[in-house]
Amino acid sequence: MLNLPISRRELLTHAGGSFGAAVLACWLGRESSAAPATDLNGGLHHRAKAKRVIQLFMNGGASPMDTFDYKPELVRLHGQMLGPKEKPEGFTAAAGAVMKSPFEFAQHGETGRWVSTVFPHQAKIVDELAFLMAMTTKTNVHGPASYMMNTGFMLPGFPCMGSWISYALGNLADNLPTFVVLPDTRGLPYNQNGNFSCGFLPAKHQGTLVNASSKTPIPDLFADPRYKFARDKADKDTFALLQQFNRQHAAPRPDDTRLEARIAAGELAAKMQLSAPEAFDLSRESKETHAAYGLDQKVTEDFGRRALLARRLLERGTRFVQVWSGPQGAVNNWDNHGNIQNELPPIAASVDQPIAALFRDLKSRGLLDDTLVVWTTEFGRTPFAQGSLGRDHNRGTFVTWLAGAGVKAGASYGKSDDLGYQTAEGKTYCYDLHATILHLLGIDHERLTYRTAGIDRRLTDVHGHVVHEILA
Amino acid sequence: MKQTQVWRTLLGWLLLTSPVFADDNAFFIESVEPILKQHCYECHSHTAGVMEGDLTLDWRSGWKTGGSRGTAIVPGDPEKSLLVKAVRHSDPELKMPEKKLSDQQITILTQWIRSGAHDPRTTKPVSEATADTDWWSLKPLVRPAVPGDGTGNPIDAFIHGRLQQEGLAPSPEADRRTLIRRLMFDLHGIQPTVEETETFMADTSPSAYESLVDRLLASPRYGERWARHWLDTVHFADSHGFEHDEYRPHAWRYRDYVIERFNRDTPWPQFIREQLAADYFFPRSTDLTVALGFLGAGPYDRSAAATAPMSFEYLDRDDLVTQTMGAFASTTANCARCHTHKFDPITQADYFALQAVFAGIGKGDLSFDMDQAVATQRVHWNTLKSAAQQKNSQILLTSENLKLVAEWEQSRGAKPHWLPLQADVFLSTNGADLKRQPDGSILSTGQAPDQETIVVTAGTSLSTVTAVRLDLLTDDSLPHQGAGRAHNGNLHLSEFELRAFTADAAEGRVIPIRQATADFNQEGWTIQHAIDGNLETAWGIYPKVGIGHHAVFELESLLAIEPGTQLVVTLKQLHGGAHIIGRFKLTATDAARLDVIALPVEAETVLEIPAVKRTPEQQTQLAAAVLQHHAEQELQKLPPYVQVYAAGAEAANERGMVKYAAPREIRLLVRGDLEKPRDIVGPGALTALAPLPGRFELPESHPESARRAALADWLADPQNPLTWRSIANRVWQYHFGKGLCDTPNDFGRMGGTPSHPELLDWLACELRDKNGSLKHLHRLICNSKTYRQSSANQPQLVKLDPENRLLARMSRQRIDADSFRDSVLLASGQLDLTAGGPGVSHFTTSPGAQVTPVLHYDQFDLDSPGAHRRSIYRVVWRGMPDPLMDALDFPDLGLLAPTRGFSASPLQSLVLFNNRFVLHHAQKMAERAKAAEAKMPDQIKRIVLWTWLREPTSEEQEKMTKLAGEHGLETVCRLVLNSNEFLFVE
Repeated sequence: MLNLPISRRELLTHAGGSFGAAVLACWLGRESSAAPATDLNGGLHHRAKAKRVIQLFMNGGASPMDTFDYKPELVRLHGQMLGPKEKPEGFTAAAGAVMKSPFEFAQHGETGRWVSTVFPHQAKIVDELAFLMAMTTKTNVHGPASYMMNTGFMLPGFPCMGSWISYALGNLADNLPTFVVLPDTRGLPYNQNGNFSCGFLPAKHQGTLVNASSKTPIPDLFADPRYKFARDKADKDTFALLQQFNRQHAAPRPDDTRLEARIAAGELAAKMQLSAPEAFDLSRESKETHAAYGLDQKVTEDFGRRALLARRLLERGTRFVQVWSGPQGAVNNWDNHGNIQNELPPIAASVDQPIAALFRDLKSRGLLDDTLVVWTTEFGRTPFAQGSLGRDHNRGTFVTWLAGAGVKAGASYGKSDDLGYQTAEGKTYCYDLHATILHLLGIDHERLTYRTAGIDRRLTDVHGHVVHEILA
Repeated sequence: MKQTQVWRTLLGWLLLTSPVFADDNAFFIESVEPILKQHCYECHSHTAGVMEGDLTLDWRSGWKTGGSRGTAIVPGDPEKSLLVKAVRHSDPELKMPEKKLSDQQITILTQWIRSGAHDPRTTKPVSEATADTDWWSLKPLVRPAVPGDGTGNPIDAFIHGRLQQEGLAPSPEADRRTLIRRLMFDLHGIQPTVEETETFMADTSPSAYESLVDRLLASPRYGERWARHWLDTVHFADSHGFEHDEYRPHAWRYRDYVIERFNRDTPWPQFIREQLAADYFFPRSTDLTVALGFLGAGPYDRSAAATAPMSFEYLDRDDLVTQTMGAFASTTANCARCHTHKFDPITQADYFALQAVFAGIGKGDLSFDMDQAVATQRVHWNTLKSAAQQKNSQILLTSENLKLVAEWEQSRGAKPHWLPLQADVFLSTNGADLKRQPDGSILSTGQAPDQETIVVTAGTSLSTVTAVRLDLLTDDSLPHQGAGRAHNGNLHLSEFELRAFTADAAEGRVIPIRQATADFNQEGWTIQHAIDGNLETAWGIYPKVGIGHHAVFELESLLAIEPGTQLVVTLKQLHGGAHIIGRFKLTATDAARLDVIALPVEAETVLEIPAVKRTPEQQTQLAAAVLQHHAEQELQKLPPYVQVYAAGAEAANERGMVKYAAPREIRLLVRGDLEKPRDIVGPGALTALAPLPGRFELPESHPESARRAALADWLADPQNPLTWRSIANRVWQYHFGKGLCDTPNDFGRMGGTPSHPELLDWLACELRDKNGSLKHLHRLICNSKTYRQSSANQPQLVKLDPENRLLARMSRQRIDADSFRDSVLLASGQLDLTAGGPGVSHFTTSPGAQVTPVLHYDQFDLDSPGAHRRSIYRVVWRGMPDPLMDALDFPDLGLLAPTRGFSASPLQSLVLFNNRFVLHHAQKMAERAKAAEAKMPDQIKRIVLWTWLREPTSEEQEKMTKLAGEHGLETVCRLVLNSNEFLFVE
């Protein structure tokens, strides 16, 4: 009775018949469930360019025409009623008049990329980023849209990209979680933990939620100090005897790899206890680094801390880190319904310097060679005003950028229409973004499947094309 | 390359003038058919099971006969052929396909038709879907012969027969300690106590085991265990999930219903009918409304429901189709949403027929009476009330009702004498100009404010007051003559308040009102709303504007008026839109025996006429007024409704009352795209399973619930091949860890095939033919030798049957999250077996940014009331799982979870080792051991017995004593709770 995440035949094929070892590896997520060959540079189906990913998620729907998608037509048409007459599904109000961006735009870098004044720091690194300028999605509602960008489906219960990657590639290091989520310390995003769920994949692929501002960032890494019998030497001795008893228990049951897997997991847990505190200790970073990430300024402190923590984790072997900007709700995020001019600058400033610092830091440490950086959001915003100063949800078009391993620096793909309301060319869905990310990790998105309830499920459903235009 | 070839064929063909072209067939097959296939078949073919506009294009007769618009192709005459018109997009009403074909493709089709539309496809194609029911789960369910000599348990006959074929032998029976532990976890989801184990081990009667099975099945703990399986299967949780992951305070009633149904061994067909359509099948058993919680089990996207209703409803119905067909029929009907099922005989139209079943229900709280007697009363008085409102003399003038009227009339005191309250001061707080009229009434003039509050301070000559009367009067200055100032003459009295100020009092005393009546109440805006303390509700008079009205406010108790006492009446009118009073006057009475119902003028007039002289119309007038009041009073006396979170024809949610006038019109959507609607699809199920009906023949005007009832009947039909196999397989799965078919929600071609198909069919027949009794199956299974086998390792099986599908031994299982938690509580001596009722939250909450709160699992008081109850009574928050349960593979209930997973990870190890629940109960367990035994070795012995149900070996004893001696007894408790021996069941 082995509830295998992949078929037995598949295991036997990949593991060359050494069934037990393969099962053990796959329970623990150590290396891959399908033991990738070494000449693929860690990839599953082809040679990988990236080994790890950091995803920066702007929660709430970052406005494209106020950040990276320069739309001079909005200036000309400002104030005209050109929007849909009837309220489209998922708009929270009827569309108002066309509204120009209240921010100045200028061209930056050798690529001459337009960036508004809300992102002065990212403006300095645009030549190294590759932009998807015509991202689109299927819904104007936060919940399903966040699910789509994270799991490829609008419904709950599906595994997110981090879980798929954990399932496909396993870990890079034994002593840290494979997939870490760093939510905004002010609160969880829309869908709560649903965005980091492993869905129907085995529970070990779940994102580990890390509260960066807590004294115990990984819950239960150590026992609460009030339980003295579970601390220090008592803890060590208990653990040692537990492992001994578990081994005695497993000895007459050699066919059951699950018992062995639990024992091995215990050993890894002990390793994690040794390594994690060091990984989470930001005081080991220099004062200059703290300043670069903005830890010394109130506005950037929270995101900066998490970006820096993400870098430390990636450096030490965490495979996938997701850093969120903004909690759910009406304030402190990218869901700027009321007043773009007032609401966007503070949230933009909170991430801008840390993101640029993260990029430079990864680069100077050589990590960018095999690390992929992805900046995204769940949908865009309307070129029409909501009220008179805000912008409503718009699934039509939005911006995502990628950088790092395997990405063509300075590239750009796709275009929105003149208003920035819909895509005009090079439309890309989350499927294409996910396919591209998996591709860089050496995974063919059509072959990464998990059979559940009658379907070989994929991260990309039945869609997805790798966007080769932005690949190096 | 291929394109060039097509062109070459076409060109070659065009150049030939002869109408009879030798290669007509080749041209059709190479050039025409591919276009039709690629661009037309999706909506017009048997193979896809979709015949839009009744037109098929996948055989000659299809286009010859044509569809609802007539013949599609006129051979030889492209200009008269609808097909050409359609593909050219020349008629705005008929543009097919949506994305216009290329000019080249249109030319090919036109030329083909011009030359006579030669079409070799003369036989009617069969649907890809309906073609193939040749699959194990779709074959009629026929009771297989039991192999062997007919003695012994048939399960063993099937299993042993197969083992024999494979040259294998079953394992010996497990020891008794193992058996009771296995049975307890399977049937109760909890470890046996040491006492239960010892009693069973000492029981020498030959039927000791069988009696144990019976005893466990009769215990209420059984339902608590098996309800969890079903709740997983239907993705039940106590919160919405999605963006606004709100708590559902009434969801638990469905959980309790499921527990009760399992305990009672409700026949499976009845269980199906209750959950899908209790309201249809059992309209008089209102307590069964809880069963409809099934329809509300899944997630709910509150945000999308408000801002994107079309797609919300579509996806919400999709979830219901997925859940219903997955849970009851192990069928993935939802895979046919975008196209006809690729592997199973489910057409896209079938899928939308299933959506149509759920097209008339909304999700939210359903109100109902748990007590049938109360429900009967409520129906009775509501019927009378509406008869009174409709002046239905047939009902009102029955002798029974006339008696009530006569009694009222007799008991009525003398007609009360109303004396004016002399308004000394009257104020509008919102700037209306209030003017006293010659008759003592007050008229509101000047600019009408949006809202209004009028405060009247008055004296009275009465020495006692028992009621105050408010008269609303008409006036020519008011819209529609009033009595309100709204554009339509209406008004809304939000709240009526009365205070008494004695001569020297600085503060007034609030005088409570016992009841209020009015001569007329606007629908939904009754006078009760003026005394309910809720400013959102109010009394209104629409559409009876332009005539006077009055309301009587009866005081809770007699109010003595000392000299100099002033009465202050506050009339709050906060609805907005100038729904304010236009003209009014206030009076009071001291009538002792009141019963001062405010009667309409007509009824008051009737009272003047002697009873015997009243005409039937007059009798009706009076009876209507009196009986409405009586019915309302009786209704008020009834206990309030209870609620369950479910879905139904009427459900209350954050948007108010969701009630569809008629079920939504369900259309087939091309590629599942809401923007590509095609023909209407009526309610139904799968067409491939004749003789079961594919579409439900319901009368034109059927209640919405008839649709759900028809699906329930379809599922519960003894001839349904899927239903019985589905549940029989689930029961097997929860005993053996894996179903005979290991994909419990998918019996289609993408799912597994059963290891023992005959056994599965036999079990399904047993269930079907033995009154749908699950407990019957449990008995058969638990008493079989197969189930009682040892799980001990047999080296030869590792290679021959690594997944133990043949069952030459029992499968070892890791206990699930719920069983772990409950067994820890049992071992620590803390388990609280209180059953039923609202769920226990294992967290504290603080306000979140919006409606979703923040949950703090780490701040929960582990000893608070209810904290030690079984896990089934835990609040399951869909989007924010309990880290402890999560670590042990409690499923994400965003999706159906028919199986629990197994994982082992460092994070799981850390949680089990360090989670405060485990540590807290390790402490409790140590205290319990110390209370029971004086010496440490004995205490350790106890701890090991409680968890491993055996005595420690001397080596174990020695090592544990050393550990406990150095670091305390708690360390040993923590150790055993983390041990594989505790976590796995042999």
